[in-house]
Amino acid sequence: MYQAMDGLGLAAESPYRGPIDLQGAPKGASVLILGAGMAGMTAAFELRNAGYRVQVLEYNARAGGRNWSLRGGDTYTELGGASQHCEFDKGLYINPGPWRIPYHHQGVLSYAKRLGVPLEPFFQVNYNAYLHSSTAFGGKPRRYREIKADYQGHVAELLAKATRQNALDAEVSKEDQEKLLQSLKDWGTLDKNYTYVASDAGSERRGYQKDPGGGLSARPIPSQPIGLTDILDSKLWMGIPTGDTYDMQTALFQPVGGMGRIGEAFGRELGTLIRYNSKVKQIHQDERSVTVSYEDTASPGTALTARADWCVCTIPLPILAEIPMNVGSPMSTAIAAVPYASAIKVGLQFKRRFWEEDEHIYGGITYTDLPITNIGYPNTGFFSSGKGVLLGAYIWGLHAMEFTAMSPAERVQKVVEFGSRIHPQYPVEFDNGIAVAWHRSPFTMGCYGMWSTDARAKHYDDLCAIDGRIVLAGEHASFIGGWQEGAVTSSLDAIGRLHQRAVAQGAAA
Amino acid sequence: MKLPARPAACIVFWVAGIAASASADDSAFTSGTTLSSISGPEIYAHICQGCHMPGGVGAVGAGYYPKLAGDPALVSWQYVALTVLNGKDGMPPFGLPADQVMETRAAHLSDAQIADVVNYVRSSFGNHYKDKAKPAQVAALPHPGHPEPP
Repeated sequence: MYQAMDGLGLAAESPYRGPIDLQGAPKGASVLILGAGMAGMTAAFELRNAGYRVQVLEYNARAGGRNWSLRGGDTYTELGGASQHCEFDKGLYINPGPWRIPYHHQGVLSYAKRLGVPLEPFFQVNYNAYLHSSTAFGGKPRRYREIKADYQGHVAELLAKATRQNALDAEVSKEDQEKLLQSLKDWGTLDKNYTYVASDAGSERRGYQKDPGGGLSARPIPSQPIGLTDILDSKLWMGIPTGDTYDMQTALFQPVGGMGRIGEAFGRELGTLIRYNSKVKQIHQDERSVTVSYEDTASPGTALTARADWCVCTIPLPILAEIPMNVGSPMSTAIAAVPYASAIKVGLQFKRRFWEEDEHIYGGITYTDLPITNIGYPNTGFFSSGKGVLLGAYIWGLHAMEFTAMSPAERVQKVVEFGSRIHPQYPVEFDNGIAVAWHRSPFTMGCYGMWSTDARAKHYDDLCAIDGRIVLAGEHASFIGGWQEGAVTSSLDAIGRLHQRAVAQGAAA
Repeated sequence: MKLPARPAACIVFWVAGIAASASADDSAFTSGTTLSSISGPEIYAHICQGCHMPGGVGAVGAGYYPKLAGDPALVSWQYVALTVLNGKDGMPPFGLPADQVMETRAAHLSDAQIADVVNYVRSSFGNHYKDKAKPAQVAALPHPGHPEPP
């Protein structure tokens, strides 16, 4: 079937090639999988279906790993011991990890479908959400549509001017100049003199000062464009292409009820194949098998072991680097060579959905130069009364390090303070919040593997290559770092290679 | 202030970071203090303690962050400085040139700052090492990244 799809050019852009074919598993062959995140559960699901005997060891008491939603009633304890109890109302959640699935991440999407997890749209771009600079426009946010329309209008006017002043004669033929001018007029909503001024056409892009209506109060009033200098100075133009990158282009999806629904469904599907609360202490391979020593986190000190012919290890690298494992120096060097990103997400519950009620923002994202970086509005439950939860901050880099170093309560407090500068309703409407700092996550010790070009050139192949009976998988073993699709495609690639080796070696040891 | 030079390595945060990149000063902390102006105790409080914890007590989960209080490895300031410069086992490198931190979303500390925070850690949390790292000595250690071509 895939060949047929390729023939139609439908599957060309996705690295995912449909359900993996693992025929001919040696009778009785076994695989031990470390980690019940997306990579580990993809491996477990497929290897089990192919006839392997499968066991999964998972540190957490739940399935999913970074595929995770925090909901009312959940408790999360971070490294250092700070515990947060999520006090969101029923049905409200935040996704501390991944929150959006691009349409071309066909691996993740297909597992969601196979597991019966319903998906709904995720709005990356909302023209009525804000672009905000703390130093421009008196600190007042501007609507995305205003900045986009005005930037486009001014650039079109300048380019038209250059064309008409013959500045492009060497580059563009006279005939093409006519076409270019026509396109600029259209693209930038320029008037008949090729200038960008307040107009009905422009207001159809940037919004009106007074919207058209019905009856005697019907007459629209066009809005006044923001000047080019103001737009350039504000740097808000940097926020215009947020939906233009391949990973952010419409359509994007989210599972109904939270991203964690995929991990939960995977966990239900695998059932008792997953042993939870299992902390891996040592990984040892010999010529015949792999033995993993672990302890039950509920009773520390218990020395338990699991043994299998093969091992798929999806443990995040900062943790794996600290676990004794007898692999060769190329793999162990690679494991130690990848820094993990610092990132923070903060979910805030408010007494009402003021962003919808007062500002008509339905889903999507506001971008700001404040340390909170993003405000993500819920892409679900529109127009519902009662409380609402938004993503109050999604922070990377230095600010993420700084927020990680704070207590959870301080993080939430700071996020509410910063957010108040965009939404003045915050102080009155704020109800409660929860903050996840990924470097404090006990099960990852960082957000995801940040490969430099240099490190990737030196170590990536060594990280992915099978070492004896052990193969690594996860987003860190992919070129789609930080995305679930990286975990899934890495896992399928790894188990495909492992299967070939298992078949070549014949029956179980 | 810069967009990542190599988008392929920066897939996730590219969009997340657009507005942050437009920040008036993205090397500033929320207090407004700039990264380049802070010394040992503030560097520890704003950056290091995110993982190594207040008081340098470390933390244990599926893995662990080393406890710095009473850590015998601290006997060598060179070891500590090299770890801060180059990172290790998932820890980000802090010795990358300022114009190369974006690729791995690390942060740049100067040699003087690294000497300062190393000295701070080795003389705090119950540690009492008397010998001090000097900026010129840190500068002489191997640094990550490559110098920009002339």
